[in-house]
Amino acid sequence: MLAYVIRRFFQSLIVLLIVMLFTFTLPYFQSGGILAPAYSVLGTHANPSTVAHWGLVNGMDHPYFVRFKNFLDQVFLHFNLGHSYKQNLSVWNIISLYVPRTIWLALSSLIFTIIIGIPLGIYQASRRNTTFDYTATGFAFVLYAMPLFLLCLLMLQAFSFGWPHLPSSPPDGVAPWAIFTDPIGFILPVACLTMVSVATLSRFMRGTVLEVLVQDYVRTAKAKGCSGARVLFRHAMRNALGPIVTILGLSLPGLIGGALIVESVFNYAGLGIQTVNAATNVDIPTVLGITLLATILTLAGNFLADIMLGVVNPRIRIQGAAS
Amino acid sequence: MSILDEQALTLSIDPLRVEELKADDIVPMWRQRLRIFMHNKLAIASVTYLILVLIFCYVGPLFYHTNQTNQAIALSAVWDAHPSAAHWLGTDSSGFDELGRIMYGGEYSLTLGMLAGLITIIVGTIYGMVSGFVGGVVDTVMMRILDAFLSIPYLFLLISLFTIFSRSTTFLIIIIGVTGWWANARIIRGDALLIKKLEYTQAATAMGARKWHIIRRHVFPNSISNIVTVATFSVADAILFLSALGFLGLGILPPQTDWGTMLQNGTAQISNGYWWEIYPLALVFILVVVSINYIGDALRDTFEVRLLER
Repeated sequence: MLAYVIRRFFQSLIVLLIVMLFTFTLPYFQSGGILAPAYSVLGTHANPSTVAHWGLVNGMDHPYFVRFKNFLDQVFLHFNLGHSYKQNLSVWNIISLYVPRTIWLALSSLIFTIIIGIPLGIYQASRRNTTFDYTATGFAFVLYAMPLFLLCLLMLQAFSFGWPHLPSSPPDGVAPWAIFTDPIGFILPVACLTMVSVATLSRFMRGTVLEVLVQDYVRTAKAKGCSGARVLFRHAMRNALGPIVTILGLSLPGLIGGALIVESVFNYAGLGIQTVNAATNVDIPTVLGITLLATILTLAGNFLADIMLGVVNPRIRIQGAAS
Repeated sequence: MSILDEQALTLSIDPLRVEELKADDIVPMWRQRLRIFMHNKLAIASVTYLILVLIFCYVGPLFYHTNQTNQAIALSAVWDAHPSAAHWLGTDSSGFDELGRIMYGGEYSLTLGMLAGLITIIVGTIYGMVSGFVGGVVDTVMMRILDAFLSIPYLFLLISLFTIFSRSTTFLIIIIGVTGWWANARIIRGDALLIKKLEYTQAATAMGARKWHIIRRHVFPNSISNIVTVATFSVADAILFLSALGFLGLGILPPQTDWGTMLQNGTAQISNGYWWEIYPLALVFILVVVSINYIGDALRDTFEVRLLER
């Protein structure tokens, strides 16, 4: 098991390094190159020698890989995601308050997605081609086809301006625990984010359970007289869970990206709104810093999902140890 | 006709309908596929709907003349006007005729979606095939790179790129096309890995065929089903992501517009009761994406021999 964990950890680390190389390289392509921030700091009419001097002071003249190494040092040793020249603050200073808020939003949606999506998918699979199955599939199709922001705004229209007057926005302020102290304001945002993920997850769950239901061991279980529920939950579901954990891990980027839209619609101060604001102000270091952080969160989630998968499925961790 | 081919033929036909076939009724593979597809009523409805929308968006403006460049102030027209004989679906908050706007925005959304989807599938196919077929270290490196990009939340990635690069319409297509293919590449790679192990590929290798030749003549034709299916979903995804960008204000720049930007503008008027600015378009939009996705599903069923056995 330990070997499997270590192997997965290093795989994630390599992936993270590639992402960092990417976000590090992007600013070279901004108009004006990597010296562009100099004009934010020194003013738009700064003369070239001043700009060159600024570059020298800030280590912009070093070779590419030396700069990349410095960047890695900054991120890993000093937890410094970059410096926003527009606001003259470190990116971490700008976003630190919002990180837990977005995590709570995404996490609570994830939990509700699992609670609703998995039983729904199993039920659909066991009642295949019934009216219920068709209705649920239809809903999933529409939810999957609807832009998330449209869903949010329609929900807002229906439940905030219509009945039953749910708050149109989570409470103001930046308290990280707001979701627990004032949950009513979070009903709509979490519901919207959850609905979209449930649409995807339940369809995957339905497909996976259907595939498991035709396996020989399910037939054996039926043959020896197991009840329908026992076949479904003891035999089918446990074997369908493996792919689902993977799917959940893979859906994390979508969830964090979806949080961006939901935050924008419901005006919830989180990472998403910060990203949109930074993008509007062409604050490149902040946008890239948040992107990097969002990636780290995703990778951490994926890593945990894989560990869980190793715990529930011995085949995977043994395979991991062997190779 | 070899035994293998005959097996494939009988399997690809709905077993319940096998008796409909006569012995001399052996038709080409693609026509069999088409027949299975045509049996799917909803898929036919989706295709019809999509064709109608395409005609509506591209041919409609020839018959329904509207001004989509000058705002109400210049036109001395009314904004937020109710539907009337002059404006069949009313006007929006800038005074543009809503029905004409839906056609105009649709041209951009659909063209961009299709072009981006096309780029996505071309790049994804080449990357996936090379990675899966060459294998070894190349495969590992290519897949790790893919993992890296897949773990960046997609909207964040798009926003990063749009902040750094300029925002022209061409660039919009290129960015969505160039960044949307990661999941596709994975699926195609899976195919390539599978086909690589099959006898006919090994036979070709044994006869000294070059790798590129095998990819072109054996791997590609045999994974075309997955490529077509994945391409369909890519177009739907591209349209959706384009609309999300429109909502965030990172979409097409005015006076041009796309459905995402229009939906965003329309939802601002929702609480005023100006239903014509949002619901007709929302309906058209959602049905377009549902249709494309459904066609993708139907295509998968058409190509999937196993599904028919159940």
